[in-house]
Formats: sequence, C-alpha cells, structure tokens
Amino acid sequence: MRITLSIVALFFMVSCSPKITSSFDTKHPALTAEDKVAFLDIPHKVPSGAKKTGTAKFGDTGFTTDCGFDSNLIKARKAARENGANIVKVVRKKKPDVWSSCYRLEIEFYFYDGDVSRLEQYQLQIK
Amino acid sequence: MKIKNTLLLLSLILVTGCATIMTGVRQKIIFNSYPGRAAVLIDEVEVGKTPFQIKLSRNRNYQVMIKLEGYKAYEVTLKRKFNAWYIGNIAFGGIIGLVIDPLTGAIYTLTPKEVNAELNGKTAFNRKKDNIYIDIALETDPGWKKVGQLEKGSAN
Repeated sequence: MRITLSIVALFFMVSCSPKITSSFDTKHPALTAEDKVAFLDIPHKVPSGAKKTGTAKFGDTGFTTDCGFDSNLIKARKAARENGANIVKVVRKKKPDVWSSCYRLEIEFYFYDGDVSRLEQYQLQIK
Repeated sequence: MKIKNTLLLLSLILVTGCATIMTGVRQKIIFNSYPGRAAVLIDEVEVGKTPFQIKLSRNRNYQVMIKLEGYKAYEVTLKRKFNAWYIGNIAFGGIIGLVIDPLTGAIYTLTPKEVNAELNGKTAFNRKKDNIYIDIALETDPGWKKVGQLEKGSAN
C-alpha cells in the first residue's frame, strides 16, 4: 500500500507535459489570437518566400501524458504566436511505440507574408 | 451466477482502470449561449453552433471560444482535473488501473462540464429612419479605431 501511494505521489510530482526545447533565431512581433497559424505536416510544402524563424523538439519525459500529435501542435502554435511565426512545419515525426506512448516531433517555425489559411495544411481533429 | 458476475466485474476492474470503467475515456461537454446560434470553436476549430454538445478526450486541456457577430467573444479553458474514481484503483487493488487510467486519460475529468456563455454586446447600432441608436460599451477593444468624441452639451 505504501509503495503504491509512493508511486502515485511520484506520478503527480513529475510533470506530465512533453519535454519541449525550442529556439528562435529571428523574433517577429507576437501574433494576435485572430492571426491564423498553419500546421504543415510532413507531406505539406512550405511556401516559397517563407522565412525560417526557429525550431522546436517535442520529446517524452517518461511521465508525459499530454503528448498526442494534436496536443503537441497546439503547444507549438502557442510558441509560434508568441514569436511571430505563422507556420508550424513538422519535419520529423515519431509515432508512439514500445518505447514511448508519445508523438515525438521536430518542428520548424516560419513567417510567411501571405494568407496562410490558403495553404494546404493539416487540420486539428477535435474529438 | 451471482459469484460469476462478481468475479467478472472484479477481474475487469483489476485488468483495466477504475476511472476508465466508471467514467469512460471521453466526456460529454455541453455548450449554451445567450443569444443562441453562436459558433463554438475548440482550439480554433469550429465544431458547431450553440446549443451544442460534444464528447472530448479527457487527457488534455481545450481552449474554447464562443463567437457571435456583433458580440464580444466568450473564452474559457476546459481544464483537466483529477478524477476521483482513480482512487478506486488503490481501494480495490487494481494495480494495473494505476497505469491504465493515466494512459487512457480517464485519470482526468474536464471542467467546466457545461459552458453557459452570456455574450455581451459590443457596439452594435441600428438605424431607423433618420435616427441612429447606439449601444454604449464600457470595455474597449485594442483593435478599435477612435472615430469621434462625445462632448458635454448644455441641458436645454
């Protein structure tokens, strides 16, 4: 019983968010909630003229629970908005497997001076 | 027969999570608004118009916005909180459930369970013949552009 409670306590003490490392080379003014941010999955192409502003990696801490593909993209969109990027491009994607129940992603951020809602993109699945 | 059913239920509790069985992995959330027919956006994706209900996975937070033309948007976050049914795993000895419930997301419950948005008017104005009726809003939006200023007149 004591061991079980210790495991539960440990579970709650350790963060359940994915391990995120991001870096931005160029900082644009932050975007508003009204500004659209496009999600480009692996098959979607970055439009010509878009400027790369930064990168991010989403990993697994071992206790991560909120680390689905959409959850990670939503977190990436928040980072993109704060740093003035309007394209979140997935460059590498590792699906959940025996080693991790998380999506592990490598992402690039871009700023595109055009209407990003017209780009072919990934749509979030709300379910 | 009774023993068989009890054993079946017990084994089910032991091999899956208590919260997963009792509350499920998805939760029904209800959205209402006044006035109605407002767009419900979850994580910036329009999912329907009020009154509306949807079943959502319990394992993450959701950003909700209820929007209607001419009204200030209503925003709320559906937050995942601890689901007390998880404790049932400790009480009933469902060790596997301690692992299963976090994986399925049933360890969480989303709050609020019901969103009732009373949308506040913005600056809608109506024209009737030669008169203009203006609704006054006390809150300003940073996106608004000032186009005029009312001046104090004499009380004649």
